[in-house]
Amino acid sequence: MTIQLALADNAPTVFDGTANTVAVAVLLIEFMMLRTALLRAQVRLYAFQSFVVSVLAAVVAFHRDVPELYVLAVVSFAFKALLVPAVVLRMLRNSKAEIAGSGALGVASEVMVSIVVAAFGFFTVGALDIHSDVLPVVSLSLAFAVVLIAFVLMIVRRDVVSQAVGFFSLENGVSLASLVVAAGLPLILEVAFLFDLLVAVVVFGVLMRVHHERTRSLSTESLDRLRG
Amino acid sequence: MGINLPVPFIQALQVLTVALAAPGISGVIARVEARLQGRVGPKVLQPYFDIVKSFGKESLAPEGAGPMFLLAPVLSFACYLTVPMLIPVLTSYALPLGYMGDILGGGFVLALASFVAASAALESGGVYAQLGSSRAKTFGAITEPVVLLVFFTVALVTTTDLPYVLGATVRSGPDQIVRPAHLLASAALFLVILFETGRIPVETHTGTIEFGMIEEARPFEHSGPYFALLKWGSSAKQLVLYVIFINVFIAPWGLASTPGLGAVLLAILALIGKAIGVGVVVAIIDDSFAKLRLFKITEFVAAAFLLSVIAVFTLYLGGG
Repeated sequence: MTIQLALADNAPTVFDGTANTVAVAVLLIEFMMLRTALLRAQVRLYAFQSFVVSVLAAVVAFHRDVPELYVLAVVSFAFKALLVPAVVLRMLRNSKAEIAGSGALGVASEVMVSIVVAAFGFFTVGALDIHSDVLPVVSLSLAFAVVLIAFVLMIVRRDVVSQAVGFFSLENGVSLASLVVAAGLPLILEVAFLFDLLVAVVVFGVLMRVHHERTRSLSTESLDRLRG
Repeated sequence: MGINLPVPFIQALQVLTVALAAPGISGVIARVEARLQGRVGPKVLQPYFDIVKSFGKESLAPEGAGPMFLLAPVLSFACYLTVPMLIPVLTSYALPLGYMGDILGGGFVLALASFVAASAALESGGVYAQLGSSRAKTFGAITEPVVLLVFFTVALVTTTDLPYVLGATVRSGPDQIVRPAHLLASAALFLVILFETGRIPVETHTGTIEFGMIEEARPFEHSGPYFALLKWGSSAKQLVLYVIFINVFIAPWGLASTPGLGAVLLAILALIGKAIGVGVVVAIIDDSFAKLRLFKITEFVAAAFLLSVIAVFTLYLGGG
C-alpha cells in the first residue's frame, strides 16, 4: 500500500518556517518570564528574548536583502540584550531587596489565562487579513500575543522589577511586529524606538529606586494603602 | 540483500524487536545515568536478568484480590505489544495490519493498558499501589488534552491521523521540519513521554521513596512472573513511546523501504541506535534536574499544554 502526501503544498517555505519558529521562540520566552519567580532570571530571559528578536532581524536582513536591518539587529542587540539587562541587574544588586517576586495567581492558572489572552490576540489579528511581503503574517499574530502577555505579566506581578521587565518585553513584541509590517521602515525611526526604550529604562530605574527607598521593598503591595 | 522477507514476518519482527530490545534500552539509560553521576552503575543487561529471575519465583496474591489482579499484567503486556503493529517500527511503508488502527487507536490501546494496571493496583488493597494508581489517573487526566492536541496537530498537518503519513511528510523535505507546528508538537510529545515513562521532572525512576511515586508504585503488590510482566511491560511502553517520537516525529530516517533482509536488519540496528540516542538525552535530563514537588507537576503539564496549543494556533493561522 502506498502513502500519498496529501498536504505537502500547504507547508510554509523553509524561510517562512524558520522565521515563524524564531517568532514562536519569542512568545515562548515571554511565557517563561511569566513562570519565573526569580527576578534575576527574569531579566536574563528578557536579554535572551531581545537576542532572539535581533536574530530574527538578521535573518530577515539576510533573506530579503535589506541591509539596514543588519544595523538594526546590531544596535538592538547592544542595547536590549546587553545594556538594559546590565543596568537593571546592577540596580537589583544595589537594592539588596528580595530576590523573588510574587504573582497574584498560581503559575498554572497564570499560564491558562495567558493562553486565553494569546488566543484572543492570535485570532483578532488573523481576522484583520493583513498581508506582508517580508514576513509571514503569523509572525504578526505572534507579536500581538507577546504584547498581550506582557500586559498580563505586568498585571499579575506585584513587584516593580517584573513590571519593568514586562514593559521592556512589550517593546520586544512591538519591534517584532514592526519587523513584520514595516521592515523597510527608515532606520532612524527604528533607532528612535530604541531610544524611547532607554528613556523608559531611566524612568523605571528612578521609580524602582524611589520606591525602594520609601518602602524598603520592591513589592507594590504597600502602594494600595491610602495613608503612607 | 537478495532475500525478501515475507510481510507478516516483518510485522511479527516489529513486535519482537520492541519486546526484546525494550529492557536493554532501560538498562542503557540506567547505565548512562549512573556514569554521569560518577557511579559504575548496573550492567546494561541487568533488566533482562531481573526479569528472568522474577519469572523463576513464586507469586503471591493479597487476600481478597479478584481475578483482575492476576489478569492485569498479562493484559497490559499484550496491549503494549499490540501498538508496535500500528506504528512504523522497522518499515517506512505500512504493513498489512498497520491500518488496523490510527494514532488515536494506538493511544486508546496504551490507555487501556494503563487503566488495567491501575485497576489491578486498586484490587490489591495495598496503600502505595493504590496511591500510585490514583496519582497516575489524576495526572493522566491532565496530560490527556496535551496528547489530543498533538494528535490534532498531526491531523491538521497531514489531513489523516495515520502515523506512517506523518513520518513520510517529515521525510519529504526541510520545509516540513522547520515549521513551528511540527517542532512545538514534537516538544510537547517529548514532555508527555517524560511524564508517561516516569522520568525525572515527574518522578524518580528507580528510587525507593514511596511518597513521590506514581508509575513505580503500581506493581508493588505483584510478585514473581506477574511482577516480571509488569516490569517488562513498562519498559516496552517506554520503547513504544520512543519509537513513536523517533520514527513519526523527529527522525523517521533509517527505516527499511523494501522487504529485503538486509534493509530490515539495518532498520533494527538503526532503531536501537536512535532509541539509545533518545535514552541518553533522557538520562542527561534525569541527572540535571530535580524532581518536582507533586503539586508542581501541573505546572510541568501546563508547559506541555502551552506548546501544543500554540502548535494548533499557528496551524490555524496558516503559518504553521
